[in-house]
Amino acid sequence: MGNKIIVPFGSQHVALPEPVSFLFETQNEVITDVTVNIGYVHRGIEKAAITKFEYTQLPYLVARVCGLCSITHAGAYTHGIEKLLGIETNKKIDYLRMLVVELDRIHSHMLANGHVAEVVGYENLFMQTFRYREDVMDILERITGNRVQYDYQIIGGVARDIDSETVKFAKEKLLTLKANTEKLIEFFENDYTFGLKTKGVGTISKEMAEKFNAAGPIARASGLATDARAEYDYLPFEEVGYKLQTRSEGDVWARNMVRFDEIMNSIEMCLNILEGIPEGEHKVKVKGRPDGETFVRVEAPRGECFYYLKGNKTKVLDRVRIRVPTYANIPVLKELFVGEKYSDAQAIVLSFDPCMSCTAR
Amino acid sequence: MIQMFIESLKNLVSKPETVKYPFAPSPEPKGYRGTILYNEELCIFCDKCENICPPGAIKFEVVDIESGKKQYNYNPYLCIYCGACVDACPKADEGCLTQAEVRTPVMGESVVKNPKLGYFINGVENPKDVEKKWRELEIRAAKSREDLAAYKKAKRAAAKAAKAKASK
Ligand code: SF4
Ligand code: SF4
Repeated sequence: MGNKIIVPFGSQHVALPEPVSFLFETQNEVITDVTVNIGYVHRGIEKAAITKFEYTQLPYLVARVCGLCSITHAGAYTHGIEKLLGIETNKKIDYLRMLVVELDRIHSHMLANGHVAEVVGYENLFMQTFRYREDVMDILERITGNRVQYDYQIIGGVARDIDSETVKFAKEKLLTLKANTEKLIEFFENDYTFGLKTKGVGTISKEMAEKFNAAGPIARASGLATDARAEYDYLPFEEVGYKLQTRSEGDVWARNMVRFDEIMNSIEMCLNILEGIPEGEHKVKVKGRPDGETFVRVEAPRGECFYYLKGNKTKVLDRVRIRVPTYANIPVLKELFVGEKYSDAQAIVLSFDPCMSCTAR
Repeated sequence: MIQMFIESLKNLVSKPETVKYPFAPSPEPKGYRGTILYNEELCIFCDKCENICPPGAIKFEVVDIESGKKQYNYNPYLCIYCGACVDACPKADEGCLTQAEVRTPVMGESVVKNPKLGYFINGVENPKDVEKKWRELEIRAAKSREDLAAYKKAKRAAAKAAKAKASK
C-alpha cells in the first residue's frame, strides 16, 4: 500500500473549461475519496430574478444562466409564465420552439463529444467535431440573429418569424451535418484506441443510475429510459419523430454514443419540422400579471431541467427556482470516482458534460 | 483508423474553416441582431422600450418639466442586443425603433457617433467617461421622473384647490 496523496483537479484545469474543483484522494493511482466544490460561478441569478427584474424581462435574464442551453432556460421560463397567465400558443410557435431546442441539443452534444475526444488524446478528432459543429451554429445564428445568446423564445411566442430562404439554408446545412455526423460516429464507434480509453471506463449500472437519480444522457447511456420530452407534455415532440434513445453499457463510450444517437434523432426531427412549418402568427398577445405557482420540467441537452415559479399578481415574481441537470448528476459522479484510476478521471468528468455556470447560477 | 488517416490528409489540403479576423473582415450574417436605431420624430414617448430593457440600456430623461418633454438616451455598450425593445415598441413597424443588421463598432479610441443613437452617446467624447456619465445619467433620469411626478401632483392639487374655491 502506498501513501495517500491528494490530487487537486480544478478549479482551473486544462482539460475542463469549467470552474469546478475536485480533490481526489488517491492511493497507488486509484481514487479512494473525492471532495467536490461547485460554487465558483455563483451569480445570484435566482435572487436577481425576484428583486431587480420584472417578469417580462426574465426570459432574457434566465437565458444568461448558461451559454450552451440558453434556449432551454428561456423556453422553460416562458412555458411556466404562459401557464400562469393562461396563454395558449399556436402550432407554429410550438414548432419553431422545438426547432431551436433541438438545434441547441445538437450543438451542445457535439461540443460534449468533442471534449471527450480531446481529453482522451484525440486532439484532431476534437477539432473535426467542432468544425462540423459550425454548421449548426450557422443555422441557429441565421434563425435567431445571434450565435450564442439567442433570445428567441419570448413570452407568448418567438422573437421572429422564419422565412423560406432560411428554411432552405437550414435544410442544406442539416443535410451536410447529417453526412458529417455519420462520419464522426464511424470514428467514435470503431476506432480501436479510442475504445481502449473509453470502453469499460466509469461504468454506471442501471441500478446505480436509478439509485442516484441520474438525469439525461448519463441515465440513458445506462439503459434507464428517462427523458422529460417523453414524460412531461410541453411541446409536441412525438409529432415530429422523437424517439427515446438508450444504450446499455453505461461507460464513457456509451455516453458518447447515446449523444450521437440523439444528434441523429434531432437532425431527423429538425428536418421534419422544416418540411412542414404550420401557418400562423409567431406571437400571440400577452395580457395580465402572473398569479399562483407552477412548475416546469424540460429536457435540456444535459438532462432534466426544472423550474418553479410563483407569482403574486405584481410585475415581480415571488420565487424563481431553477434546478439544472448537472446538479442532479453530481452525486452519481462522486460515487463513480471511487475505485477508478486517476488517469481516467478527466474522461469521466467530461463524459458527464458538466455545466458549472448552470449549476451555480 | 485508415479512414481517419485519409480524413487527416484531406484536411491538410482543404481550405481552413477559420477566418483571419481581425486582419480580414468577419461580416455579420443575414438577420443579425445589431445596433438599436431610434427616430425621435415617430416616438410617442410611451416608455415601453425603457420598461422592458433587461440591462436598462435605454433611459428617458425629462428635460423640461413644464411640457414633460423627454429625451431618449441609449448606451450601446450596455445593450445586450436582445431586441426586446423593438418587440415592445408600438411604433416599430413605422421605423421608430429598429434593429440594424450591423454590430456597433467596439469601443476603442473613440466613442461611436450616430444621430440615431440618441442623446447620451453623442454627448460623450472620451471612451473612459462612458461608464461614469451613464451612471450620472441614470441618477439624473430617475430624479427627473420624480420631479415630474411631484410637479404634476402639485399642479393637480392646485387645480383642485382652484376648483373648490370657484365652487364656493
Ligand atoms: S436590444 Fe435589448 S438590451 Fe438593447 S436596448 Fe433593446 S431591450 Fe435594451
Ligand atoms: S417604445 Fe417606441 S414609441 Fe414607445 S418610447 Fe420607446 S421608442 Fe418611443
